[in-house]
Amino acid sequence: MLLVQEVTKKYGKVLANDGVSFETHPGEISILLGPNGAGKSTLIKCIAGLLKFSGRILINGNENKSLQAKRELGYIPEIPAPYEMLTVWEHMEFIARAYSLENWKEKAEHLLQRFEMDDKKKKLGNELSKGMQQKLSICCGLLPEPKVILFDEPMVGLDPHAIKELKKIILEKKDEGAAILISTHMLDSVDEFWDSANIMIGGRIAARRSRRDTASSGEDLEALFFAITESSKSKSSDGQEGKDSSPEGMN
Amino acid sequence: MKALAYLTLTQIKNRILSLKKKPGLLILYSVLTLIVVGSFVLMIIFSGETNAEKAADERIIYLIISALGLLFVYTFVTTGLSTGSSLFNMPDVGLLFVAPISSKKILFYGLLNTMGKSLLASVFIFYQIGNLRNAFDYGFKEIFILFIIYASMLVSCQLLAIGIYIFSNGNPSRKNLVKAITYTLYAALVIAYLVIQRQQQTGLLETILRLVSSEGFAYFPVAGWSVMLFAGVAHNLPVKIIISVVLFLIMGAVIIILLTSGKADYYESVLVSTETSYQIRKAAREGRNVPQTNSKKIKVRDNAFGIGKGSRAMAIFYKHLLEHKRKSRLIFIDGYTVFMMIAAGMAGYYFRTYALPEFAYYGVLATAVYFQYFLTVMGKLKQELTKPYIYLIPDSSLRKVFAASLSSLIKPCVDGCFIFGILAAVSGHNLPECAFFALAYAASGAVFVGLTILYQRVLGGQPGTVLKVFIGMGLFSLVLGPAIAPSIVLAIILPDSLRFLCTLPYSVISILFAVLLFVACGNLIDKSEYTGSAAFK
Repeated sequence: MLLVQEVTKKYGKVLANDGVSFETHPGEISILLGPNGAGKSTLIKCIAGLLKFSGRILINGNENKSLQAKRELGYIPEIPAPYEMLTVWEHMEFIARAYSLENWKEKAEHLLQRFEMDDKKKKLGNELSKGMQQKLSICCGLLPEPKVILFDEPMVGLDPHAIKELKKIILEKKDEGAAILISTHMLDSVDEFWDSANIMIGGRIAARRSRRDTASSGEDLEALFFAITESSKSKSSDGQEGKDSSPEGMN
Repeated sequence: MKALAYLTLTQIKNRILSLKKKPGLLILYSVLTLIVVGSFVLMIIFSGETNAEKAADERIIYLIISALGLLFVYTFVTTGLSTGSSLFNMPDVGLLFVAPISSKKILFYGLLNTMGKSLLASVFIFYQIGNLRNAFDYGFKEIFILFIIYASMLVSCQLLAIGIYIFSNGNPSRKNLVKAITYTLYAALVIAYLVIQRQQQTGLLETILRLVSSEGFAYFPVAGWSVMLFAGVAHNLPVKIIISVVLFLIMGAVIIILLTSGKADYYESVLVSTETSYQIRKAAREGRNVPQTNSKKIKVRDNAFGIGKGSRAMAIFYKHLLEHKRKSRLIFIDGYTVFMMIAAGMAGYYFRTYALPEFAYYGVLATAVYFQYFLTVMGKLKQELTKPYIYLIPDSSLRKVFAASLSSLIKPCVDGCFIFGILAAVSGHNLPECAFFALAYAASGAVFVGLTILYQRVLGGQPGTVLKVFIGMGLFSLVLGPAIAPSIVLAIILPDSLRFLCTLPYSVISILFAVLLFVACGNLIDKSEYTGSAAFK
């Protein structure tokens, strides 16, 4: 389970995340929705242990920067960046060694096969196209079979087959009991499988809905998203909002 | 094998194996290795022959070490105040930082990697074995310690940048404190220089040499410690060696403790610089414009909002004007202009009493033209050619090329007036000659703009930096050579009273050449392919 409690992150004077709290339970797919600059990627990086923050983040009850938490966390970053001088297969081997995995070869073969990378095993990182790099990044993130998985804009740069396969894998991981958090600004890409949605604006969670809520009330998540973002824009232009929104690129 | 050892060894192995696919690089490395090995063999063979009485002033080596050290310290302090430095790269962030490996072990891995790279970067010192032996009568010991010193300076300055970033990030008062300390240290050097000059009545070079070999300078961070270490090793002075090594170690230890204190949370501190350097490398590899790392935030002022003027191709020129205005209120007068004015002013001041100061002023012109070459070929026109808009604007190719070049043609004219105006004012040299210097400078700018167009027309893109240097050297001899020759002839045949006209043939030929390039390659946009980005690939 992923627990985020009162997480605040500042870059100098700019407030990127402001007291964010939510939970993602085992077997739940939670999405972080928000326009550019809403603070989604900053929050994902805080959860992944890459940034300092105030507040509390627990991965299956362990403080997110502890080694135990890292063992149970998978992170697929927004920008794939493989080691230039490691082949695809050596990336798998490196992950296996870093996470002390046993009997990993079959799993690695299977993952690479699903993403049509099995014929690229001997390709160096610097020989891969951007889409291939993204696929490799996903394989690296999933190989340790993490219990909590963070995806930061995972569909960007993937071909249709890979998108279909990734969606299948996400659902499989959900069925296996993993807590999954997906950050995206493309609602269409996650529309079919989200369980809970957190809409972020200006570093805060402006609304949280479960699929059950929206199903029973008939509320349209897309309409809610636009209502929140448009109202935030008009507040900003009226000068009613006290704080500045996060700069572009912070995410 | 543990993950970090596996990662390091596999990367080294693959890097070596990848040379099989790059025979050119393999030959280059082999030749460079042969040169180093050959130099060592020759040094061993001739180790008995000493040349001590003919050796040059050793303080020149102190000066070189000091200059490098001072430059590194200033550069890395500036980096530390903006993005920080990094011992890591992006794959480390995405794969290593999130892995269940102790952050202290990861830091050790980063440090070892950086040290290895610094040692490799320092290998060039061994190519100077012959020169160092001939000029200073140095043996293996001295050359090896120079190698170690260079690598230590690189590593310690990178650590310094990280330390400063951790200390000052998000805290303006701490940033000001770091700036104040840095400026005080450098100001102290200037004061020390003035004191030595006043007390000992020495010239420019001698004063600097006395300064860098003084006891006080030996305690200047990194630069002074490096000089102390070298002097200690070269003259077998163990106390100096111990003090300098201890100072380096203390600095490294303090920063490592700062990095690993508390929850050992240095990931964020290296993240910004890692992402920045990754984006720069990626952009360079894809042939895109390198993103600006300058952290200075440009404020959009109301009086500099909107392009305002220009239609069709000329919209590009007015866009450039706006971009210049955003960077500097005085549009074409920017940091480079000020830097060159100061340099020209200092040269004018120091050389005014020389017997033939005009030779020194020709040196100023040559240096300014040299800098201008790089500034122009990497300037606005090059940037414009790497974006699709210029190809899409409905106007003639020649007009678009001219509009995209216009700001690059005007800037050297403005810079030339200021640089050589200052030179004339400070040196009291005759004004017409300085005016013709300014014209020559502006004309060189026109040639370099023409060359940028030529690169794109002939090569279908802009060559890399190394290639630019070689092409630049070729250009100086092939194109500027015939332009310089008539100027030299004129200098010989003209009487003193008309010698200010010497640079005129050079300027005229350069302008003619630039016009020729524009006419010949003006159809560039219609004929060449857009190669600026991987977007269409």
